Amino acid sequence: MSVTQFWLSFGFGLSTASVLAVAAVGLSLQFGVTNYINFAYGDFMALGAFVSYALNNEILHLDIWVAMIGGSLFMGVVAVILNRLLLSPFARRFSKTFYVLIVTFGLSLIMLNLLSAIWGDNVRFYNMKIERVIKVGPMLLTKNQLIVMALSVVLMLGVHTMLKTTRLGKSMRAMSDNSTLAMTSGIDTKRITTITWFLSGTMAGLAGTVLGITEGNLTPAAGELFLFVIFAAVIVGGVGSIYGAMAGAVIIGLATEVSAAFINPAYKLDTAFVILILTLLFRPNGVLARTGKA
Amino acid sequence: MSAFWLYVFTLIFFLFDYFILAMGLNIQYGETGILNFAYIGFVAIGAYMTGAVSMPNSVGTGQHYILGLNMPFPFNLLVGGLSAMVVSVLVAFIALRRLRTDYLAMVLISLSLVFYDICNNYVPLFNGADGLYNVPSPLAGVLHLTTNSFTVVFALLTGVISLIMWWIMSRITRSPLGRTLRAIRDDDGVAAALGKSVFRYKLTSMMIGSFFAGIGGGLIIQFNTSFNPSAWLPGETFVVFAVIIVGGVSNNIGLLVGSLLVETMLVHLVAFLPAIPGHPGLILNIAAMMIGALLMVMLWFRPQGIVPEKLRRSPAAVAAATTSTDYAGIDEGVSHE
Amino acid sequence: MSDQSVSRADSALGCQDLTKSFLGVRAVNGATFEVPRGQITALIGPNGAGKTTVVNILSGLMKSDGGTMHLESTETTNWESEKIARLGLMRTFQLSRELGGLTVLENLLVAPHDQPGEKLFNIFFRPGRVTKAEKAHVERALEVLRTYGLYELRDSRASDLSGGQKKLLEISRAVMAGPKVLLLDEPMAGVNPALIERIGGYILDLKAQGVTVLMVEHNLNVVEKICDHVIVLAEGRTLATGRLSDLRENKEVVSAYLGEVIDAGAIS
Repeated sequence: MSVTQFWLSFGFGLSTASVLAVAAVGLSLQFGVTNYINFAYGDFMALGAFVSYALNNEILHLDIWVAMIGGSLFMGVVAVILNRLLLSPFARRFSKTFYVLIVTFGLSLIMLNLLSAIWGDNVRFYNMKIERVIKVGPMLLTKNQLIVMALSVVLMLGVHTMLKTTRLGKSMRAMSDNSTLAMTSGIDTKRITTITWFLSGTMAGLAGTVLGITEGNLTPAAGELFLFVIFAAVIVGGVGSIYGAMAGAVIIGLATEVSAAFINPAYKLDTAFVILILTLLFRPNGVLARTGKA
Repeated sequence: MSAFWLYVFTLIFFLFDYFILAMGLNIQYGETGILNFAYIGFVAIGAYMTGAVSMPNSVGTGQHYILGLNMPFPFNLLVGGLSAMVVSVLVAFIALRRLRTDYLAMVLISLSLVFYDICNNYVPLFNGADGLYNVPSPLAGVLHLTTNSFTVVFALLTGVISLIMWWIMSRITRSPLGRTLRAIRDDDGVAAALGKSVFRYKLTSMMIGSFFAGIGGGLIIQFNTSFNPSAWLPGETFVVFAVIIVGGVSNNIGLLVGSLLVETMLVHLVAFLPAIPGHPGLILNIAAMMIGALLMVMLWFRPQGIVPEKLRRSPAAVAAATTSTDYAGIDEGVSHE
Repeated sequence: MSDQSVSRADSALGCQDLTKSFLGVRAVNGATFEVPRGQITALIGPNGAGKTTVVNILSGLMKSDGGTMHLESTETTNWESEKIARLGLMRTFQLSRELGGLTVLENLLVAPHDQPGEKLFNIFFRPGRVTKAEKAHVERALEVLRTYGLYELRDSRASDLSGGQKKLLEISRAVMAGPKVLLLDEPMAGVNPALIERIGGYILDLKAQGVTVLMVEHNLNVVEKICDHVIVLAEGRTLATGRLSDLRENKEVVSAYLGEVIDAGAIS
């Protein structure tokens, strides 16, 4: 592999890592607060991406970046509604996480088929300007990739600031550590849970849309296929840890794209799985974790 | 024979086949509490391996696949079941050792997606996205069956096989092994505190369930004479979960009822409905959403399923041999706060 | 302060300098004690003293951060709970953990180690052995249930039992496994006085059968009546060990624990 190729794939890796970081942090925020994995998260991404598509291509014909905001916020609201009407009642009623996990799995099936019923299974494209390629050091990146990276960095800083400095963030961290304790110490856990679902849904919608932008196309199943890459990032970073999710996203994002330069790009996602397996075998609590929940 | 009867026997085949698949997932989920979201992957391994060993050497067939041993029925089917079992051992050693239920589910669903990705893209293994086709119909040559009569014979044969599998599964679930698995399902910490090797039993449960998955998959590829990645998208696992949860967790009659309602009616019967003009696939989308919704409604209103799990009461003989009158009123001395 | 009153040779179970932290809080901080073989020992201490954590570590449910422990002459530090259980240590839980989907009888039948019927091979190829062993286990289980007054409930779903019945079920399940050492985490908590009396009797019977018992207990009346030996934990450390009557003289113990309880009126 030539040096040029390496930097080319490295640039792609940073772009994938940016998308992945948004997705993984959104998943981890919700997991931390509610303590169960949302297996419909990939479909949250897809729904957000398709609402952005509708705003961009079918109604209003908004600029893609504006449409992206609309699609993300829409998904945030949907996430809150789904939590209120479906997930939270199941989580409260059954003490075993089993049930709510199966419900999210079922939700995933419903959402996937809903998307497919509305938009069909054909590949769709966002209406975007022809991209200019910009040279950044040794890397070649499109303008859109740069915007996505900037967006991701800003969002990560925002999440960091929120968790460390705001009351909301502190409450969320308290609930992650110990929800019973948080409840008894006067935190309005219901409100925090609602806000968390909104943030998680919005970030899913955002991640889904920017995935569509960077990949250049979108299908209803795209989110579901991307889901395991998010899982890989989350597990590699240590489940439940926000900073772990960020680190995992960078590791997995770079590893998949750089490895794509060596092997058949069709298998680049399998690199993520190899890293996931190695992590499970040697650092089951994640690469960064000292002690974990597993 | 009319097309109608062909449909009926196709439905009968899937009824029995999903009964087998449901029993396999049930021992993992219903009896042991393992949330195996990769189940359909083990079905696929069984299908591909059964197909690959029963087909002739791939050279000259226009397809690419491994093995190609012309292996006759039922040995090809056993290879399918055993292959799925062997893979489950590998998976268990990586993922089952120390992971919480939901992490395990994450890893398993990831595994299922990766395995899918490999089968879909790596042509030399199982012919990539085209999948295997022209898989020999078992017994067709021996019994001089036509395509139609093969459908009937194989559907009935699957019925017989499912009865054998039912007998095997009942022996297991009624044994002390089944009891220990249910103890692990109810509280694996207690099982460990009683000296049970939780990992060993989960491994056993994974192996048994995967064997059933492999057999069920092997029957599908032989019935359809083909199998490709579009047949086993990871979401298909959910259909098997729906069969179990709708019919009745840990009740074999319930699993048969679930297979009838979910797999036969909602998956296959609707496939025979004429498509809505201009909206191909819409009916299938709606059916899939109905399966999801049905499962949620069942979980909420009747989590035990249509036919609930039976308590395994002590055998009448034991009770009769030990009738006692020396005891009165347990509730004395027990507080009810 | 280390325990000088019980030599290692007379000890069925013990630990040295156990430590364990949760989220930076030291729950156990150098607990050291020996449990005399064939006797009933109480583990007492104020709330938050780390009693349950110590029991969880000794039974392998949790791994300690530091320190060592032994069961009889075997070092069991950081062993899995299933291995410790197979050496002959059984336990009950503070909040009863019945196997809810099983019947009362089945709860007991799970307990025996290495049942022939737990092996797939035996189920299909040696059914005679499986049936024979199962018969023997059922007989023994029914006998235990009779002893503990649960016989009539043998076919009830364990999750349907009352709180007191669940306590009895946990003890009888542990007994069914034939323990050498029994750890009871608050066996009398939340049960009425009549049942406390009965459970006390069962524990004395177990002692008579040669079982070593370590029980976490708040009710000093019970401790006084049935326990031979007392270990006082405070802030994760062993404060004192000995007979309860001797400990009443110990000012440190009284101020750390007994005084508080007396004030609270627990000793009537």
